[in-house]
Amino acid sequence: MPVIEVVDLHKSFGELRVLKGLNTRINKQEVVCVIGASGSGKSTFLRCLNLLEEPTAGEIYIEGIPLMEHRKDINRLRQRVGMVFQLFNLFPHMTVLDNITLAPMKLKGMTKSKAEEKARDLLDKVGLPDKNNEYPNRLSGGQKQRVAIARALAMDPQIMLFDEPTSSLDPEMVGEVLNVMKDLAKEGMTMVVVTHEMGFAKEVGDRIMFMDEGIIFEEGSPQELFNSPQRDRTKEFLGKVL
Amino acid sequence: MESIIKTLSDAIYFNLIREQRYVLFISGLGISLQLTLYSALLGTLIGLFLALAKLGRVKWLEGLVTAYVDIIRGTPAVVQLVLIYYAILGSSSLPKIAVASIAFGLNSGAYVCELIRAGIMAVDKGQMEAARSLGFSYARSMIYIIIPQAIKNILPALGNEFIVLLKETAIAGYIALDDLTRAGDIVRGRTFDAYTPFILVAIIYLLITSILTRLMGGLERRLHASD
Repeated sequence: MPVIEVVDLHKSFGELRVLKGLNTRINKQEVVCVIGASGSGKSTFLRCLNLLEEPTAGEIYIEGIPLMEHRKDINRLRQRVGMVFQLFNLFPHMTVLDNITLAPMKLKGMTKSKAEEKARDLLDKVGLPDKNNEYPNRLSGGQKQRVAIARALAMDPQIMLFDEPTSSLDPEMVGEVLNVMKDLAKEGMTMVVVTHEMGFAKEVGDRIMFMDEGIIFEEGSPQELFNSPQRDRTKEFLGKVL
Repeated sequence: MESIIKTLSDAIYFNLIREQRYVLFISGLGISLQLTLYSALLGTLIGLFLALAKLGRVKWLEGLVTAYVDIIRGTPAVVQLVLIYYAILGSSSLPKIAVASIAFGLNSGAYVCELIRAGIMAVDKGQMEAARSLGFSYARSMIYIIIPQAIKNILPALGNEFIVLLKETAIAGYIALDDLTRAGDIVRGRTFDAYTPFILVAIIYLLITSILTRLMGGLERRLHASD
């Protein structure tokens, strides 16, 4: 059974039709990189996967559970799907440690000491063992994004969604974030990554989705998609970005 | 030189000492401060409720709040005070200060509503999304994430609103409440000296507002410790 199944997903913002009947299945431990021009709907697609955007039509199954049908349980379902944002969205009024421990303590009833122990482990994992008591505003972009990844992982999600996680970083900080994501992929996390980092997509992605015109225009393994794209639009896009 | 000192000491004697007129100023100040405190508390409460009603997703409630805010902000406070006193609450047995507190509280609530709403809206919308993506409900996201950040935006403006309120209560004399400004007016009526009592009143207001401004500055600095 796929971990994520998307059936005929439509999303419109008023008159603007962004997603026009998107179908896909994503398996456990698969790393899917979503590429495409801006405005092609890739972020909207990702945000539909945890209902941050309400689909106009269609259904999304997460571990077999239809989200649209179970909208009332969305808060519980979202606990199983972690998300990392382009602009980090760390909570600026809390220390790094509190950012990470808040959700496990409040939503899972984890004790403070347990949550902090877990947070410290996660900070070690993302390479920031000594930033516990810093406020987010004192961190660099790359450090913020790594804390944001740790915050999402603290809920033990089954799936991680990444919405252009390196797009607002200075070039020298992109690597440190991508490395954390690579480690995560190696550990077998199911990941959907909207990205402009073609190098990362090639190296880490199990499957590349090229989005255009509100659908998955072409998809395949990195070798297939990058080396021998079948459709003209795909070739044109890759010609521009590679 | 001697005549100036003589004029000044005479003015102070007639306006403050004679017939213990200083008592009028002191009790007037007491009334003004009480009135400000009660209306500020009531106004904050009303404002909070109105802001939450306006931010909620119930359309007719939002319209009602908008109408209320428009009416209050579009009419003079003194007219509202007199109307509420005579037409609405004049027939009840409530003490005048309570009536005035309600009038000023209703007035201030409209302004506070907009302050709180603006403060909440100013929090980056990514904050709500991050909280929701972790699995927090809308209400809990507000409580843990949005409101603590909004308070930083709101408090300076709210402090300012209280200072405005203190000065605004100077119209309480319209319903025969003996506040600080009216104390000045009473003394003027006795001494036929307009300058001394009102300069005194002005100095007292200025002193209090300066103290409040300082207090707010200190509070603000502490709130921004995490920046």
